Amino acid sequence: VRRRLALYGAGLLLLVIGAFPLAWMLSTALKPSGEIFATPPTLVPRAVTLENFHRLFQETNFLTYFGNSVGVALATVVLTLAVSSMGAYGLTRFAFAGRERVAGLILMTYMFAPIMIIIPFYILVKQLGLVNTRLALVLSYTTFCLPFCLWLLRSFFQSIPLELEEAALVDGADLRRAVWHVVLPLALPGIIAAGIFTFILAWNDFLFALVLVTSEELKTLPVGVNDLFNATIVDWGMIMAAGVVITVPTIGLFVAVQRYLIQGWGAGGVKG
Amino acid sequence: MNRHPLVGWLLLAPSLLLLGGLVLFPILYNFWLSLHDKHAFMPVQNFVGLKHYVYFAGDPEFWSSVRYGTIYAGGTLILQLVLGVGAALLLNEAFRGRNILRGVVLFPYMIPTIVAVILWKWLLNDSYGLVNHVLVTVGLVRAPVAWLGKDHIMTSLIVMSVWQFFPFVVVTYLARLQTIPPELYEAAKVDGATAWRRFLHVTLPQTYNVLFVIVLLRSIFMFTKFDTVWLMAGEGGVSRYVRTLPVYAYSRSFTYLQAGMGATLAVLMFLLLLAATVVYFRAFRNDEAAA
Repeated sequence: VRRRLALYGAGLLLLVIGAFPLAWMLSTALKPSGEIFATPPTLVPRAVTLENFHRLFQETNFLTYFGNSVGVALATVVLTLAVSSMGAYGLTRFAFAGRERVAGLILMTYMFAPIMIIIPFYILVKQLGLVNTRLALVLSYTTFCLPFCLWLLRSFFQSIPLELEEAALVDGADLRRAVWHVVLPLALPGIIAAGIFTFILAWNDFLFALVLVTSEELKTLPVGVNDLFNATIVDWGMIMAAGVVITVPTIGLFVAVQRYLIQGWGAGGVKG
Repeated sequence: MNRHPLVGWLLLAPSLLLLGGLVLFPILYNFWLSLHDKHAFMPVQNFVGLKHYVYFAGDPEFWSSVRYGTIYAGGTLILQLVLGVGAALLLNEAFRGRNILRGVVLFPYMIPTIVAVILWKWLLNDSYGLVNHVLVTVGLVRAPVAWLGKDHIMTSLIVMSVWQFFPFVVVTYLARLQTIPPELYEAAKVDGATAWRRFLHVTLPQTYNVLFVIVLLRSIFMFTKFDTVWLMAGEGGVSRYVRTLPVYAYSRSFTYLQAGMGATLAVLMFLLLLAATVVYFRAFRNDEAAA
């Protein structure tokens, strides 16, 4: 019995550590401005209001940032999945000299933090004429997600028996159809995990968005919200509302596909 | 059947093009830049050899950024390990609500850094923050503490970063814990080993290699962490009490627009990490332990 109690006590503590700060953010976001600064603070808002969200949507460029973030993140997911599943398939199903070395080299690029190459990266993007475009962000995020996604998908493709694919070929399908109808469906958990990982990286990134994009109408959420935060005297209710709106897509997606994600993480590790 | 090697290369081509063009080329270009005086926006550039390296060797700000970076990486690493391994051990036990808790514990790691930062700035706010309110009410401090002022900014940054990144340790450590054969524990129980001794003599040796990797990755990630540190302290005021190497490299390049010097700092960051990694492998690599 004492062991049970200790377990649940520790579990409760962990729950508080993980979730309480986020619950506090939500609570603040739902309070009218008078209640936000009340002493003693109220954990559950006495008078729930959406006025903070209303102000956020009406008086700031938040919705523009939101649209940009959604667009950039989705485009990154599509591009990354296309490029990495092609690449991973090439690395698994074709025998060529130097294959393992290439795979190792790809993993090595994973070790370089963006901050270590951001300067040449910026100059390069500038010379390509891509500064201040969404394309620059999509290409950066795709590149930095690639090593992880390639390795993750490679391990999934490796676990799919070649015979299944060959059977489809014998039945008269060409290779493209065999891949589309046999291999990809079987690798779906890996593809979903890679997609979520990519989405979260693109959605959360601050550094590239800070350096590569300067015009107001192209900014994504992290930089836009940081500007809102630094602009004037902090409007805590509105800033917490912004925090809630940015957090919802990430956690929503995560909860929706949690079991795929854990599987994928086990196979490839995470970064950050 | 169409399994020609050329098709394999063709499928890999887009990946290699992106990684080559946007990672490998910038790495080489960065090294080249570090040997030049270059403005971040203007095309002027002059070869200066190792001038920047010599400059930073005698630059107190560089050494202080290395020191702050080491304190930050070391402090967050130890606390992440303690909290992360503890949480993983807990989540490996059977109890009701375990699966929900396994999900919830990952939340801090999933949210954008900007959210984690504004959230903690609100919690730690000196006049209205919940943390100060609780501490004053309980009587641990007499007056609200300026958690984001110069005396406590490093502590606050470390606490906030541990909260944000410990889930990484939980996920990776838990994944390995789940593969330890239960017979090992049963044998230890039969021998009358206490829970602590079971942890010491079964769990730790079994998880040595995953801990080796976790420590390596977390150290690298924390030492090169930019956004959390920069967002927490900004560039003026209190920031010089937490100016780590990545933040220093960023301000050299994009605030003072000295791209050559910024690139030199990036190379130095890489060399420091490389040296630390080599030492780490020499000291702790254990090829005989179970994978």
